[in-house]
Amino acid sequence: MDKRKISINKSKIAVSITIGIMSFMMIYVMLIQINLVNYDKRGEVEFLRETELKELLANYKEKYNETEQQLIDTKAKIEEYKREDKSEEDAVALLAEEVKQANMLLGNTKVKGEGIVITMENNIRYDERESSIIKSADIISLINELKLAGAEAISVNNERIVAKSDVFDVGNFVCINGQRTSSPYEIKAIGDRKHLEAALTIKEGFIDTYTNNDYIINIESYEEITIDKYEGEMTLNYAKNNINTKK
Amino acid sequence: MIILAIIIGCLVGIILGANAPVISYIYSDYLAISIIAALDSVFGGITATLKENFDFKIFVTGFFGNAILSILLTFLGNKLNVDIYLAAIVVFVGRMFNNLTMIRRFYLDKWSESKLKKAQELLKTEDNEKQENNTKND
Repeated sequence: MDKRKISINKSKIAVSITIGIMSFMMIYVMLIQINLVNYDKRGEVEFLRETELKELLANYKEKYNETEQQLIDTKAKIEEYKREDKSEEDAVALLAEEVKQANMLLGNTKVKGEGIVITMENNIRYDERESSIIKSADIISLINELKLAGAEAISVNNERIVAKSDVFDVGNFVCINGQRTSSPYEIKAIGDRKHLEAALTIKEGFIDTYTNNDYIINIESYEEITIDKYEGEMTLNYAKNNINTKK
Repeated sequence: MIILAIIIGCLVGIILGANAPVISYIYSDYLAISIIAALDSVFGGITATLKENFDFKIFVTGFFGNAILSILLTFLGNKLNVDIYLAAIVVFVGRMFNNLTMIRRFYLDKWSESKLKKAQELLKTEDNEKQENNTKND
């Protein structure tokens, strides 16, 4: 009699445990799915994809034509230089203009224009192993993405990114142009707002992967932002022009 | 005890599921279909309990088997470019509605029965009172 009771109890416990596990699994999978569906609402960009692609294609065609035109212009300019060798005053004015443009490209001047501002923040959790800390590699990849998307001027925490710029880790800080900065990182980029934003927000693009990795990222686009000039030294002590010594 | 197990399972699921990782969107179809299959089994189980022919083994195998089979079918459909999961959803949801109808009918019947009983009891007591009054008048 007792034995039977025990066996009945045992089977009841087994049934309860199985049902508990089953209900757990169902709720867990349901929540995962709900999470997934909620998360993917941002992917609405995906629906705009086709029209956006068309726009992009049209823009690229335009750009191609522009660049071709530029090439022709530059060739013409070279011809002009050769011809204007005699009239030096004009040459000086032309050179001044060239220097101005070169400075802008180098990052020696304050620039403004339409663009986007991205803020990235460390996600500090109580458990240190679980917190996500932004490394220099993340910032470098973001800069590369922006450059690819056609950004004309980039700054990180008001440090202008130029050809000479360095980005490296010092502990939990990131050094940019030799200046130590810390989270939150504010990355400004001047360029076509739509291009820049689209390049970052496409599916499995930068924002997607990094929000997956638990960083806090924000994008805002502005009609006009200003980016400070490069503050560091820009002289060459060792590198010398090799054009004239070529044999 | 079983109800306690269900509650504990649900609570643990909610707690763990709230911090669930975001998985790739590719698996969304499979998850959805497996959830529907599992829900179908649950409603089937409830109906069987009400009809008093509930079998635990059938329930468990149906719960997991249907979920896994539907995932496999969806996978096959993806490979063959046929939306098999639509068919699965039609079947599962259709069955769910059937089961829900049965559950509703069962409780409706119970409710109307109890109402009938009450009415009959009331009538009986009234009759008794009348009879008593009659006897007193006599």
